[in-house]
Amino acid sequence: MNISDWRSRMDEIDKKLVELLNERSQCALEIGRIKQELGMPIYQPNRENEVLSNAARNNKGPLSDGAIRRLFERIIDEARSAERLAMHGEVSKDEKGSK
Amino acid sequence: MVIVMQEGATDEQIQHVIDRIVASGFDVHRSTGASHTVLGAVGVHRDFDHRDFELLPAVREVVRITQPFKLASRQFKPQGTVIDLGRGVKIGGPEVVVCAGPCSVESREQILAVAEAVSKAGAKIMRAGAFKPRTSPYAFQGMGEKGLQLMRDAADEFGLFVVSEVMDPSQIKMMSNYVDIFQVGARNMQNYFLLRALGEVQKPVLLKRGMSATIEELLLSSEYILSGGNYNVILCERGIRTFETYLRNTLDIAAIPVIQKLSHLPILADPSHGTGRRDKVGAMARAAVAAGADGLLIEVHNDPDHALSDGAQSLDPTQFAQLMSEIRIIAPAVGRRVA
Repeated sequence: MNISDWRSRMDEIDKKLVELLNERSQCALEIGRIKQELGMPIYQPNRENEVLSNAARNNKGPLSDGAIRRLFERIIDEARSAERLAMHGEVSKDEKGSK
Repeated sequence: MVIVMQEGATDEQIQHVIDRIVASGFDVHRSTGASHTVLGAVGVHRDFDHRDFELLPAVREVVRITQPFKLASRQFKPQGTVIDLGRGVKIGGPEVVVCAGPCSVESREQILAVAEAVSKAGAKIMRAGAFKPRTSPYAFQGMGEKGLQLMRDAADEFGLFVVSEVMDPSQIKMMSNYVDIFQVGARNMQNYFLLRALGEVQKPVLLKRGMSATIEELLLSSEYILSGGNYNVILCERGIRTFETYLRNTLDIAAIPVIQKLSHLPILADPSHGTGRRDKVGAMARAAVAAGADGLLIEVHNDPDHALSDGAQSLDPTQFAQLMSEIRIIAPAVGRRVA
């Protein structure tokens, strides 16, 4: 296989990733709404750690455990953000907010 | 806002900080580095006090990313601000505009003589004070409204604009009849009441940097005026207090390029107050033009040895004309010109 073959393969995988990430985000939004009804806090460090350990446990490489952890940190960050928006009933705006 | 955790911060300590960020209403971007965890807080508003986070356990450093000023920032107006006074005189454009005149209006003869001398040498604006913020209450306090009238008459006779210092909001209405630009002195840079009042007029305001003010504080003061609706603000670097007391102040030349990057407002330099000594004014004026200043504020007196205030830093007409001829040569080297 040459570069463009591998790239096509990556493109197919990326497409699935986007679908899966959105499915995951949908779960986060539902959880956000339920949390709001029950008056639970958004930030649940134990659950976040659980997600990270699961990811490390499921990791068969070639990515290192550290790399998997860092990628999932971003996924968790966005899930937390989506939950927060769902809780406050805000329409998700693309971040123009500054750090 | 970016929070850098200490090396070896525990999970609980990191979680506590994340908890506080979320509780403050911001989103978190967590990044585990090789030795430090870095937390980015997203959506932090301008007036948030980041020091609250510096105090949390295991926090090494907190870096504020958004600038506290907005209307004054270069991002707000990338093309820069040009203040058009009329008759072709524009501050912030390609021309380096020179304001010159005595520290105070002392008499009709004095102000006429100086007006004639500075206009002939190429100054476009006359500076002079009628209300003087003297350090000592026993020193000459200025001629008051009469002085403003004399200054206006002299300026009109020689085709100059007028800038003079306003000390209090109650003077604004009266002074509007005489001045083209209101000057806020260094000691009034944080007189927020005065700044707000000037934010409601439309005449340009020349805002001088306080003698112990940081550049950020200067820009925040300008923000007071801008946020009131008056976008005609000109900044002025006039020397700051440093540990070096050989000269009256230390003229912070570097402030000129720094401010031009941070802000769109024009910046002038005052080498007279910046040095306090006549024999140093020329060198600093030339340096300021070379550094890219949009203009200069220079004290000129027809008889400096007998001036009622700040004579030691005033140039006489011959010295001023000489200086003008020098900066006429320097300005083109930095892509500007002098009248």
